[in-house]
Amino acid sequence: MSLTSWAELLASGLITGGIYALVAMGLNLQYGLMRIMNISHGEFLMLGAFLTWWAHTAWGISPLLLMPLAFAVLFALGVAVHALCFKRLAARAPNVDVFEARSLMVGFGLMFFVQNTALLIWGGDLRGYEYLADPVQVAGMRFTANKLVLFGVALALSAALIALLKLTLLGKAVRALMQSPTGAQLVGINTRRLHPMMFGIGLGLSGVAGALLSMTYEISPSMGEPYTVTALIVITLGGFGSLAGSLAGGLLLGVVEALGMHFSSPSLKMLLSYAVFIGVLIWRPNGLFSKK
Amino acid sequence: MTTHQYSKRQWIKGAAAMGALAVAPRLWAQSGNPVRIGYAIARTGPWAAGAQVSQEPNYLLWAEQVNAAGGLSVKGTRRPIELIGYDDRSETETCVRTYEKLMGSDKVDLILPPWGSGANFAIAPLANRHGYPLLAPTALSRKLIDMNLPYFFSLLQQPDKMMGALVDMLVANNVKTVAIVYMDDLFGLENFAALNNALKKTSIQVVERKSYPLGVKDLAPVLRGIKDQNPDAFIGITYPPDTILASRQAREVGMNPKFFYASVGTAFQLYKNVMAANTEGVIGMGSWSVKTSPEAKAYFDAHVKKFNKEPDRWASGHAWAALEIMQQAVDKVGLDRKALREHIAKNEFKTILGGIRFAGSENASIPGTVSQWQGSDFEVVWPKDRATAALNPNKPAWK
Amino acid sequence: MKTLPSNKPWLALAAGVAVAATLPWLVSEFAASVLLSCLMYIALATSWSLFCGATRYLSLATSAFFGIGAYASATLLGVLPWPLVILAGALIATVVAVVMGAAVLHLRGTYFAVLTFGMTELIRHAVTFVEKQVSGTVGRVLMEVPSNETVYLTVLLIAAAAIATAIGVKRSRFGLALAGIGADEQRAQTLGVDTRLAKIAGFGLTAAFAGAVGAAMAVRWTYIEPAAVFSPFIGFQTVLIALIGGAASLGGPILAAIVFSLLAETLRLQLPYGYMMVLGVLLILCVMYLPNGLATLWQKKGAQHG
Repeated sequence: MSLTSWAELLASGLITGGIYALVAMGLNLQYGLMRIMNISHGEFLMLGAFLTWWAHTAWGISPLLLMPLAFAVLFALGVAVHALCFKRLAARAPNVDVFEARSLMVGFGLMFFVQNTALLIWGGDLRGYEYLADPVQVAGMRFTANKLVLFGVALALSAALIALLKLTLLGKAVRALMQSPTGAQLVGINTRRLHPMMFGIGLGLSGVAGALLSMTYEISPSMGEPYTVTALIVITLGGFGSLAGSLAGGLLLGVVEALGMHFSSPSLKMLLSYAVFIGVLIWRPNGLFSKK
Repeated sequence: MTTHQYSKRQWIKGAAAMGALAVAPRLWAQSGNPVRIGYAIARTGPWAAGAQVSQEPNYLLWAEQVNAAGGLSVKGTRRPIELIGYDDRSETETCVRTYEKLMGSDKVDLILPPWGSGANFAIAPLANRHGYPLLAPTALSRKLIDMNLPYFFSLLQQPDKMMGALVDMLVANNVKTVAIVYMDDLFGLENFAALNNALKKTSIQVVERKSYPLGVKDLAPVLRGIKDQNPDAFIGITYPPDTILASRQAREVGMNPKFFYASVGTAFQLYKNVMAANTEGVIGMGSWSVKTSPEAKAYFDAHVKKFNKEPDRWASGHAWAALEIMQQAVDKVGLDRKALREHIAKNEFKTILGGIRFAGSENASIPGTVSQWQGSDFEVVWPKDRATAALNPNKPAWK
Repeated sequence: MKTLPSNKPWLALAAGVAVAATLPWLVSEFAASVLLSCLMYIALATSWSLFCGATRYLSLATSAFFGIGAYASATLLGVLPWPLVILAGALIATVVAVVMGAAVLHLRGTYFAVLTFGMTELIRHAVTFVEKQVSGTVGRVLMEVPSNETVYLTVLLIAAAAIATAIGVKRSRFGLALAGIGADEQRAQTLGVDTRLAKIAGFGLTAAFAGAVGAAMAVRWTYIEPAAVFSPFIGFQTVLIALIGGAASLGGPILAAIVFSLLAETLRLQLPYGYMMVLGVLLILCVMYLPNGLATLWQKKGAQHG
């Protein structure tokens, strides 16, 4: 296979991985920080996708403009969901394990609710539209323009989030909370405002991922679940609470899948992905990038 | 960039209608000794995409049309139809349980089938045991036909016919090499096996065979490999999401075979919405178009008017034909289900797809067909005696 | 323990089984099917709780074992008599669980949950692959199926066995070991409990019942394929029911299985278009206001332990 073909293969793996990373980082914010196992994460990705599709097909607004809108709407939704569902649970749970189990159940309830609301409104049909789908040549490789946008935005947002956490005071507060919830509160970090905000950012990121995906793939109300699953795998691989780990893990998973598909058949891709995943966890139980 | 004709007003109307339907389990419950027709179908879950395009809309449209015309004719007497439909959640067990309720407890007069081979496999023996004729437009499996259940009738052409027609067409157009990509499930595998069987009898060379699992997100690596081998024809045994994925990505990597075939989904309006001008020349599974008969056009127009979306050019037509057959049979022999079965099994019926007659459980009248996108419609191009347009043997390159 | 274990649970079980066994002949086919699905989830949730409730290891592998049982059934149906088919399903599932468990039971909490989910998917794709290579097709048709009544009684027996096992385990040293692992695993180890063996045994037990249930239910579908029998939803629903009922109790999962199945079915039939939304909302409300599960409705304060 020519060098260009290899490059294309790797690049397409990275592009897929970019989306994985974006979704995973959102989930990691919620789990790493708050131990909320939000199994309905993918449903909010779906909402972002549908919002974008709807606004684009009904009013002709460019999806690029809709991305910040998707983020804002999902952020607001996230804050609301946190206030309605998770705050009370956090207050009443005797310990973290119990809280995790209960938030998992609430996650299920949210998953049923959100997915079926979407079904009721938009029906079960596949929807799709074309945007920036003309192929472009980049260094001899061919990609559709929307794929490049997808990768660019995903990478930019991921980098921005990591920078936010490393460089700003807010980010320091979040990292402190992740390291030691009690200690952080003792030094005066305001969890009551931080938690809803981070939960909102998590959902906002998945909303943007959905908007990006709607440009390149077909959408349906049930599209969210596979992304939740992939996000779970990525954050487990990268280490809970490590955002850089999620970024690296997501990109890595994308590349592994692309290579796996090339050398075997796509049917084996899933088999290989899970085998690799299980193998890695048995070898490095705290994730590939943890320092433990 | 394309826009799908979908106005805000219609969205609001749709949402309001859905809200109303949420609390109305029985549609058109009319007085006057109604004919109760029950079914379970996928409204949620993985089967819903197919079921809501090809099957359930037809049930709703049919009942509405028949009732508007005065009711279903039962041996001459007109009675209103009461449709009793439930969601089977794309779960076989739920589907089985619902039909047990409909046939065993509610004792409805007639049943309509669920969507897909899996569900029909479960329901066909059940319907057979209860003695309810089942005319299934989306059941595709030779194994199901071979079970020889007297009350089960399949409307769709089976894999050997569809693949046979495709191969005949390729041979007639001097195709020398093909590459095949197929889905890892009953549909994909049975069609793949049928395709291989048909190809074996020809001198066509297969340069690539790759399978992929449900829910695949990226076929570009595979397509790039196929592009390098430059086959005359690309054959994808794919479902709507993968059909569109394969088409989009074939364009992305610049793979331009003379024949690009993607089985299911090419017949859907969605394909046109997403691919726009790039549908031109693409071939797939389809067995009718508005040019097939004036009744077909009337059906098409009514469907668009009611649902603001087109029926698909394959299974939808067969679903409507099944309803027409049921209607004609009830008109002749009434609601005695044993007599209905006898009548359906032994007669020919006039439908929008032409005359249909059954041999055992199989539709003996409609041969395998291939359709092609030409302009804004998916025309039947093979076999020549069923064609609504001539085949364009040179698909233009992706734009 | 201050008092001798009472015979009440055994009597209740015996009475319940006796009544349930007569029902298929007294009610309609549909009602019997609804009862069947209740029994299926009683069996799954009870066997899940007996290990996962006590040890706090959240397993999402139920779907894997269910599917293995289903495939065992499909493969062996014409070959072995019915009771042996069920036993084969249980046995093969147990073997897989022991192998799986030996590899992953050293991980806790979320890792374990995600890993068991991954294992389910791995098994599903492995079965698909093997089937494709070996038989050229991916699903199996079940031809000579036993009657509905046979299936019902079989699942009833499996559910009864699961409950009996749960009662027995709770009162045994094995049960104490499991509870100890759930309370504080390291301390249990220092007290001399062979935690590894206990966990593998418990996990295996869970799998046995799930495999048996899968083997029994498969015959109702005539045709099985990996996507249907390895559906993650089966695992989700089991976990949900057990947690809603109160995973550490005995009666909780049983009650929750019945309530959930009946509620879901009623909603589905009454609100053909909106029931899942209602179900989701009810679930959230239940977790928020009855966080320790339905079992708290009758448990005394002393018996509660989160």
